[in-house]
Amino acid sequence: MCGIIGYVQASGGGTPTVARDGGVTYDTGEIIHEGLRNLEYRGYDSAGVALVGASSGLTVAKQSGAVDGLEIPDVADATHGVGHTRWSTHGPPTDANAHPHTDCVGDVAVVHNGIVENYETLKAELADHEFTSDTDTEVIPHLIEEELTADPDADLLAAVRRVEDRLEGSYAICAVREDDDRIIVARRGSPLVLGRSEDASFVASDVTAFLEHTRDVTYLEDGDVAALSEDGVEIFASGERVERDIETVTWDADAAEKGGYEHYMRKEIHEQPEALRQTITGRLDVDAGDVDLDVSFPPGFLADVEEIRVVACGTSYYAGRYAAQLFEELAGVRATVEIASEYEFGAGRTPDRTLVVAVTQSGETADTLGAVRRANEAGARTFAVTNTLGSTVTREVDGTAFIRAGPEIGVAATKTFASQVATLAMLAVSIGRDRGALAAADARAVLEDLQGLPGAVQQVLDKESRVREAAQTYQDSEAFFFVGRALGVPVALEGALKLKEISYDHAEGFAAGELKHGPLALVTPETPVLAVLTEGSRANETMNNVTEAQTRGAPALGCVSADAEYDTLDVDFPVPDVGIVEPLVANVYLQLFAYHVANEKGRPIDKPRNLAKSVTVE
Amino acid sequence: MSFTVSESDAVDMSDAPVTAVILAAGEGHRLEPLTNRRPKPMIPVANRPLLEYVVEAVAEAGLDHITLVVGYHQERIRNHFGDGDEWDVTIEYVEQSTQLGTGHAVLQAEPVVDGPFVVLNGDRVVDAALVERVADATRDGTRPTMAITAVETPRDYGVVAFDEERVTEIVEKPERPVETNRINAGVYGFSPAIFDAIRNTNTHGELALTATLNELADETDGVNGITYTGRWLDVSNLWDLLTVNAGLIGAEATASNESRVESASVSIADDVVLADGIRVGPTVTIGGNTAVGRNVTIGSNAVLENAIVFPDAVIGAGAVVRDAVVANNARIGPNVTIEGTPSTMVIEESVHHNIEFGGVVGDNATIGPGAILTTGAIVGDDVDTDAGVTIDSRVAAGTTVRRG
Repeated sequence: MCGIIGYVQASGGGTPTVARDGGVTYDTGEIIHEGLRNLEYRGYDSAGVALVGASSGLTVAKQSGAVDGLEIPDVADATHGVGHTRWSTHGPPTDANAHPHTDCVGDVAVVHNGIVENYETLKAELADHEFTSDTDTEVIPHLIEEELTADPDADLLAAVRRVEDRLEGSYAICAVREDDDRIIVARRGSPLVLGRSEDASFVASDVTAFLEHTRDVTYLEDGDVAALSEDGVEIFASGERVERDIETVTWDADAAEKGGYEHYMRKEIHEQPEALRQTITGRLDVDAGDVDLDVSFPPGFLADVEEIRVVACGTSYYAGRYAAQLFEELAGVRATVEIASEYEFGAGRTPDRTLVVAVTQSGETADTLGAVRRANEAGARTFAVTNTLGSTVTREVDGTAFIRAGPEIGVAATKTFASQVATLAMLAVSIGRDRGALAAADARAVLEDLQGLPGAVQQVLDKESRVREAAQTYQDSEAFFFVGRALGVPVALEGALKLKEISYDHAEGFAAGELKHGPLALVTPETPVLAVLTEGSRANETMNNVTEAQTRGAPALGCVSADAEYDTLDVDFPVPDVGIVEPLVANVYLQLFAYHVANEKGRPIDKPRNLAKSVTVE
Repeated sequence: MSFTVSESDAVDMSDAPVTAVILAAGEGHRLEPLTNRRPKPMIPVANRPLLEYVVEAVAEAGLDHITLVVGYHQERIRNHFGDGDEWDVTIEYVEQSTQLGTGHAVLQAEPVVDGPFVVLNGDRVVDAALVERVADATRDGTRPTMAITAVETPRDYGVVAFDEERVTEIVEKPERPVETNRINAGVYGFSPAIFDAIRNTNTHGELALTATLNELADETDGVNGITYTGRWLDVSNLWDLLTVNAGLIGAEATASNESRVESASVSIADDVVLADGIRVGPTVTIGGNTAVGRNVTIGSNAVLENAIVFPDAVIGAGAVVRDAVVANNARIGPNVTIEGTPSTMVIEESVHHNIEFGGVVGDNATIGPGAILTTGAIVGDDVDTDAGVTIDSRVAAGTTVRRG
């Protein structure tokens, strides 16, 4: 899991940057450094750059630590270069393991995202080369060196192409070479996007790297190789020159900056009303009791579908758990949820009557992509619910619904969970109506609840100070247990995940009924229980289990429907009346609770240790 | 360390960029219930918060660094404005945690302001031209500058005595009739010297900026006055929102309103602002001076006129909403009527005659089917009413109104 950026000045002089003293410069190093800062959420344990100038040659600087700490070498004549921010997979985060990696003589530098699976074999074949790191990546510059030595007529483009034939695995690479005015890039399995403007060309693993310079982008397809030079971009597929569409990124990159908040996570929690408005805009036809998601299935497919299988990881998996219940209730289809890395098509299923729904915020989650590929191979129909236009998953599935939550930077997913569940609920209504399983009046009730969702979430945000007080009261507890039933279960699981990932506290989510089957042994006066006690979560039964925990001395905090009262709770958080999405609204309290516990403890909330935002390795 | 100011430093000072300090920390009690959950500057008119018009005027005046003094419900402000990129300005935030007056609010900006600066109120809409004039006067001069405008009801404001571009006295809300209609427009230009002046002002309790200016007016340099006749939109009372809304819609209305609603049977006046993605049922009529926010649903046959509808609200089928403000996520039941007849309003013990105001429905309130709101009903947030009730006064937040 890493971030890549490459930048080439156009023949006119490149992208002007405003220096700190107000003057205008054309500073290649600074543009790459800025791009790395924009990509830092993809990984942040080491970083590096390689700069190339006509007379200065190739200069590499890299070190472990955050991007801000990276000292960019002062190479005044640098016309192009590449940069990398790393999240360790092979080898610890050390200066040597940081990218870029070079060949023996220091003429070629490579940055890489992904995994070279056969690197041990390749390394053995490169026995006479000198390796300086523990990474899989380092074989690539040495392989390029071999190709260039073997064939003095070969240039960097030809060498990269030949090296590609020898690499196994999924990767995106960018290579530069001394005395070569190009960046050569290759995409196989890991995302790469080109940015194109009159002043310069860019390449990056994510458009946020260069969005301040250009919004005109080209998404490379798998297997593409491209050469970026002062004359622009040339793309090759299977050795042939090809043209790829230029798309304009319309979303607001500025929204990806944290503005007046101390943490992206809190900002993103507070953005949920607006994100949800965006999610449902133009999609709800309340009067007709229908949804316009702009998706289509082959005629008759939905009528005959036997099973919807949701595949996802992490928070998206919990959104999937929520959705599966809605698919059964609203669409009348058997629905199951599988952790993507565990997913197999499985026996006893009919491929053409199975719909596999992949839920992934980034659209690049390697485990989820793997599951989609296995589903496609089995012949199932596949569908994606994602936040990211042009992401890999959208090109591998039969249909996509975008959640439109806007960019999310905090590693802990918040607003995208809310928008995922809202989108999946609309999908459930849409399928239910299509199949005739859902009456218009029942659909209308759900759609009215969805319409009320942004306002309901705002009401929870208005009570943030109450959550902060609770967080201050209970922050030093030994452990935190989250419980719920039905739709409250995925929310309990998500609430526990949020707390543990950002506060490092021990937190677990359970189906409330399971408490007495074991976990109750862990309950003490030092272990608060947080319960989802809303509509859709069988509140009264859940409250019985909460009472069992209270009997053992545990403090109890509950998210309670507006019209219900549980006097015995130590803290109650009121949830406005929005029917089956009430547990989703309750989740906002749990997000705030996790945030404030972590904040009281001074945790690095946006960058929890050992975690990265989008996990593009399996 | 030396504190001597060299000559070159002094030259730099006169070229220093003027920044803007916008005061947006206040609660705005007079606009309850709309200010129960948001600061007054974040009340939307013509679908955008008041503060956004102020920020725009500052940006248009060429000031590219803004310090927002925030406090009460500041997350609403931070959320909307972020770091200011959307307006091509840099926004920095400073906190005023307790409301100790405008002078105290300005003091909060001291750590981040190191040159001449303009001070504005976050809830008063003025033209960019005024900001530019005050900024120019501040850049060039050493005296504090104050903008002065004329209004019909000067006694509601700080009345200014003024003599050859020099302010001689400011009298806050005088009780006796006054001879002038000139008032403090609430836009000032200062050098950092003002911070000491505020600290040294002899006051009891609150640090009012006008108290400091009154003291400075007596000194040799005095206070520079700039008269201004352009747009000056102030929201003192709830019904002013409708006037300000109407005034701003003129500039905001989009020609493409019809394309935003699918039904051909909907009738929409020209001076209307509709947000993207609203749902409008058949045969709805949206009359003039109306703004409808994001994610609003308007049921069939409903009539809106001279109204502000905040995001997420639902207007039921057949409801009539005239001269009214419907706040966030409020639910107006089917066939509810909200309509004003000219009447007398009492707000915080002051009496206002002949006000045509249908009423306000607070955030998340639910008005039951067929209910009637009239003569300035003010329904608090979270109020829940039965069907068919009649409301013509103030209903406290969270109340349940039963019929009978």
